[in-house]
Amino acid sequence: MSRTITYAEAICEAQRDALRSDPSVILFGENVAAPWRPATKGLKDEFGKERVRDAPITETAFIGAGVGAAIMGIKPIVELMLIDFGLVAMDQILNQMAKTTYMTGGNVNVPMVLRAIYGARGGGAATHSECLYGIYAHMPGMKVVVPSNPYDAKGLLTTAINDPNPVVFFEHIRLSNMEGEVPEESYSIPFGVANTLREGTDVTVVAVGRMVQEALKAADELKGKISVEVIDPRTLVPLDEEAILRSVQKTGRLVVVDEDYERCGFSAEVAAVVAEKGFHNLKAPVARVANPNVPLPFNKTLENHVLPDAEKIVRAIKNVVK
Amino acid sequence: MKLGDDKRLDLYRVMVRIRTFENGVRQLINDGKVGYVSFYTGGEAVAAAVSAHLVKEDQIGSTHRPLGHLIAKGADLKRMMAEIAGKATGTNKGKGGAYHIFDKEVGALGANGIVGGSVPMAAGYALANQLKDTDNVSISYFGEGASNQGGVQETLNLAACWKLPMVFVCENSSPEEQTMLGHKIDYPQLSITDISQRAPAYGMPGESHPGWDVEEVYKIAGEAIQRARRGEGPTLLEFKIHRLNADEDSPHCPIKCYRDKLMMDGVLSKELDDKIRSEEAAKVKEAMDFAVGSPEPELVDAYSDIFVEGA
Repeated sequence: MSRTITYAEAICEAQRDALRSDPSVILFGENVAAPWRPATKGLKDEFGKERVRDAPITETAFIGAGVGAAIMGIKPIVELMLIDFGLVAMDQILNQMAKTTYMTGGNVNVPMVLRAIYGARGGGAATHSECLYGIYAHMPGMKVVVPSNPYDAKGLLTTAINDPNPVVFFEHIRLSNMEGEVPEESYSIPFGVANTLREGTDVTVVAVGRMVQEALKAADELKGKISVEVIDPRTLVPLDEEAILRSVQKTGRLVVVDEDYERCGFSAEVAAVVAEKGFHNLKAPVARVANPNVPLPFNKTLENHVLPDAEKIVRAIKNVVK
Repeated sequence: MKLGDDKRLDLYRVMVRIRTFENGVRQLINDGKVGYVSFYTGGEAVAAAVSAHLVKEDQIGSTHRPLGHLIAKGADLKRMMAEIAGKATGTNKGKGGAYHIFDKEVGALGANGIVGGSVPMAAGYALANQLKDTDNVSISYFGEGASNQGGVQETLNLAACWKLPMVFVCENSSPEEQTMLGHKIDYPQLSITDISQRAPAYGMPGESHPGWDVEEVYKIAGEAIQRARRGEGPTLLEFKIHRLNADEDSPHCPIKCYRDKLMMDGVLSKELDDKIRSEEAAKVKEAMDFAVGSPEPELVDAYSDIFVEGA
């Protein structure tokens, strides 16, 4: 049965389901045992301080401990308080977590989920605002999940926890309170399957995370004038290239929306896929609406100036459809 | 604690095995069959003595000089040598090389190409043992250079806070005169004499000892490992060693030191020593032949093992 809960509550439910059904699942990170954090609320009380434990503020040590525990057959969910803080633990994430399976020839695997809050919050500045999923998607060996709504968040996190590979799971800070219909029972959403949220014929808009909501606003605003198809790939790795290419075959136009930095990022990847495999279907150049390679400024006016939003997406759509 | 003759000869044999194996790698390098490997030579007493307290269900995290640690833990010699040669039959199917050898069957988890990189992971092995409520322990090997890495310092703290069943074993290979990659350095890497001085700052016991007397290492390591098995938390041990070459001339050579001692004690004869050495040489020869005779990986193998299948 479905009822309305928030994105953060959906994430909490997926973890509760996993902790209940699989004794090898554990959860640790900074402040995960705190009673007020919605994505982990009540979990320590139900499962105890051994399985749900606070870690000292040492991302390298506790993420590495997650990798080690995962190699031993434990299924750790490790919470990184903010994705920006993962930058102090890059060796453990990008070398050990991502590549150990390959480097050992599959001798071991790392069934670990690294959960992280990300995204612009309004005045967080450039160490508390970033997306950075492009960095993680760049490194072979990790799956990268960026849910855009409560239903997807629960289903994708369940899939992540059950995956025998490392998964980085991105939770947008400004989606935390977003409400949506979410089934009470456990369910999973497969990785690599895009969700088409609006069907359209004039232009394809590809977006992930919070930008999906902005893309939907843009599509609504253009209703009756331009027919916009909105596609949410939901996972960057694996990427549902087929869904994107199929849509571009129909619309002939592509706008990629990305809150992350534009250079060498997700938006560039989608544009490259379409350029390589769907070029002959394009009626106009691909447009990107992304952070223009500016570290997120503290000042909110400046921050909004560089962040993609519905208005900028509308402008980009009009440009490619004219 | 008085060691029995069999135990003493086992310690000796494992040290000989490590040296013989590494000398076999040296030969393959000379023959052009293997590229570059970072050797463990000179540290044999530490690996042999520490692992003498371990069972298969205990784990080790090692370094970029891993061969001694892995051999002492019981890693398969043939598959190790094949990995060093980059062959399909290697422990890692030729995709990791010496710096990344893992042999999960014996808890050799594993070599690591990043200085200090395996230390947080070894805390994870200990955490798994703790959660499974076993009395198994993990050993985290690292060198004096790694001892300064942030991740190592963080892990010492984490292990003490979580009372993890593990032992940190630092092999300090430039104990008298600080060097880095073989050259004397103008500014020291360490502003203290003994790395174990850091232990109390993290809330754990620590000791520093010479690392070329295998029986001394055996005694010290045994106490720390037993403490971890009893659930009393981690210990930081430092053993001073000297990086040596193939031969056994150095007064700091753990094999020479122990051979002299065992002969003086009447435990080892010339004949028995020859027998041990020829038996170990035969195993290493078999590993070398296996490595040289093994096939290269197929090109298609480059694309597998990025992810494992199934849920």
